[in-house]
Amino acid sequence: MDADHGGGTGNEKKLAWPGVTDRPDQAAGDDPAIPDVISEAGSGIPPGQTDAALGDTASGPVPGSAGRRQGGGMAALSLPYQIAAALALSVIGLLACAHVAMIFLHVAPSNTLTKQHGEVVDDWVFPEFEQNWKLFAPNPLQQNISVHVRAELADNGADGSRITRWMNLSRDDGESIRGSLLPSHVDQNELRRAWDFYSGSHDSESRPNGLRGELSERYIRRIVMLRLAEYGYGGTVERIQVRSSVRSVGAPTWSDEKISTRPEYKELPWWTVTPSDLPAADVADQAPQARNPQAGKAEG
Amino acid sequence: MRAPAPVRQGAGTAGRSLAGVIQRVTASPLGAYQSAVVRIGVSATYLLFLLRELPHRHELYGPDGPWSWDMARRLIANNDAFTALMWSDGTLWFETVYALTLVSAALLMTGWRTRATSVLFMTGVLSLQNRSIFMGDGGDNVIHLMAVYLVLTRCARVWSLDARRASRDAARLAEGYRPARDVAGPALWVVLGCVLLPATVMGGLGGTWWLPSLLWVLWLGNGVWWVLNRHAPDHELRVLSDVLANLAHNAALFVIMAEVCLIYATAGWYKIQGSRWQDGTAIYYPLKLDYFTPWPELSGLIASSALAVMVLTYATVIVQVAFPFTLFNRRVKNVLLVIMIGEHAGISVLLGLPFFSMAMIAADAVFLPTVFLVWLGHTVSQGRQRLLSRTVGRIRLPGQRRMGTVDEEAARGGGGSGHTLVG
Repeated sequence: MDADHGGGTGNEKKLAWPGVTDRPDQAAGDDPAIPDVISEAGSGIPPGQTDAALGDTASGPVPGSAGRRQGGGMAALSLPYQIAAALALSVIGLLACAHVAMIFLHVAPSNTLTKQHGEVVDDWVFPEFEQNWKLFAPNPLQQNISVHVRAELADNGADGSRITRWMNLSRDDGESIRGSLLPSHVDQNELRRAWDFYSGSHDSESRPNGLRGELSERYIRRIVMLRLAEYGYGGTVERIQVRSSVRSVGAPTWSDEKISTRPEYKELPWWTVTPSDLPAADVADQAPQARNPQAGKAEG
Repeated sequence: MRAPAPVRQGAGTAGRSLAGVIQRVTASPLGAYQSAVVRIGVSATYLLFLLRELPHRHELYGPDGPWSWDMARRLIANNDAFTALMWSDGTLWFETVYALTLVSAALLMTGWRTRATSVLFMTGVLSLQNRSIFMGDGGDNVIHLMAVYLVLTRCARVWSLDARRASRDAARLAEGYRPARDVAGPALWVVLGCVLLPATVMGGLGGTWWLPSLLWVLWLGNGVWWVLNRHAPDHELRVLSDVLANLAHNAALFVIMAEVCLIYATAGWYKIQGSRWQDGTAIYYPLKLDYFTPWPELSGLIASSALAVMVLTYATVIVQVAFPFTLFNRRVKNVLLVIMIGEHAGISVLLGLPFFSMAMIAADAVFLPTVFLVWLGHTVSQGRQRLLSRTVGRIRLPGQRRMGTVDEEAARGGGGSGHTLVG
């Protein structure tokens, strides 16, 4: 694994920085004074000295005053300190190997080991080392999933109806992404992942499973209300209805496969909008955000 | 794996070569350039991300965003994640955390007080990402992991303000002057301690046992290191501390490399099982997804060619599965590295995933050969010096004698300042 790491040789480093490597003699000679220079910020010995340290390994791990002054590492330590260093080496080495093993078991498919000791792996990995690298695997997503919403307003709208048309919020996301070199997470991830979260925490009959299900519903409602505010419906919405549209990506023109690209809709029940669904309403005493100035009105 | 050079001249017995390896991993942080380039890449990616999302920061992570503070609190109560944003639901606190994260990313990139800023960076990354876990994607995941691992590395040996300071101080010492007095370091240490203590006492460091331990070990360790350097530079404890820091660095670097291998291995091996990757059409589908087509014409152009789609599909799987094994051969590994970095650059534009791609390229960079990195650094520093000397020359033309001192300084500190790739 260290095929080239650390340069395979110490020489490579010496090619590099004349300004630094010109100085190893000084660095080594003034050793006792050097530490004053070094901050606690972890910069350690200057790079020039690193080369000296590497060179010093030629003398082997023989503890001695000469080694101690010029190099570092195990060879520069006396026996009691060597024991401490060896202990540290084993502990740190074991921790690193254990960590890699745990991550491996975490990303590997369910197997005999994880079936028996899955909890150990989970305890180690969650929450900060969780990861998922099944990127477009085993198969890439082959459908465009979009979230639509319509609202029931307090008053009749411009067309004389209290219920608005369906608005395709995912298409708005797509339009924001179009032509952008730096798409925002707000457009690319927010609604897309919220819907994943919702689908993943509800059963086939849209019943929430526990806390996550409940949170995901509220999350969808808040995102929807934020988007409706952009449409200008912010403070006047009484109820909302969300539906998903799943449309398969058509077969490639060069393929003889037949895939229906007709969208399949799944409607959720009407939800009555409560103050907690309005993004700026959580902290009532704070000014509503710039993005949805209307949202604040609903409280009043 | 071949034994380190110094040992070869010995008898070459197993015992000696083991001793050589031990000496090598305890005496110095390996991969100075690799760790520096990962540090710069990861922090630059997150810095750009935070700048890009500046207008959307409230919607993403703010207390009143769609994923509200209260919802985050309820979810976090179940998963033990750490986020400083749970310390208060105030807007001011949120703005502070966002700003501090942004600043720490910039400072980490330049390598200023790197150990401290890397801890701040990790704290910031964890705080923002754990606050709204449903906003992130693979890119955030990579940054999250690397931010934690970087804390344990000595990643500022080159290309950093720390390295420049160290070399300047060394030069000053060589001329018989005392090194510049360091105020910022101890001050930073005290400030961080003043945050760490109450955070620990009030249980604000998340539900894991290792995060508070890690922070305390680092904080105390840096204090000890400072005292040893100042008052007992000859003491063996100082060498021991150096050994411990080197061990942590080398272990963390190993973990980073293993992590990158696991990312590719997972991505590759799971793909093999997919029917679309087998029939050579997989790449076609993402090119038709609304969320991943910022340039529909370009995507459509590639998708319209059966051959291009098939070649890209198979090449992706082959490269991802093969990568970890190519590490045993420098040349093949370097070829694959170029291909993968190129592929990520393509994904960045084609699928509209710039920050994911940048994060992956930064992580890949841990495998770049030292010679290349050295050459890269040299080229950058030369270009920079040429630019600098031109401006300096224009400003200081009248005073020829002063000009001389500037040149001398440039020649002497050249290596040092050259290390600050982004300084």
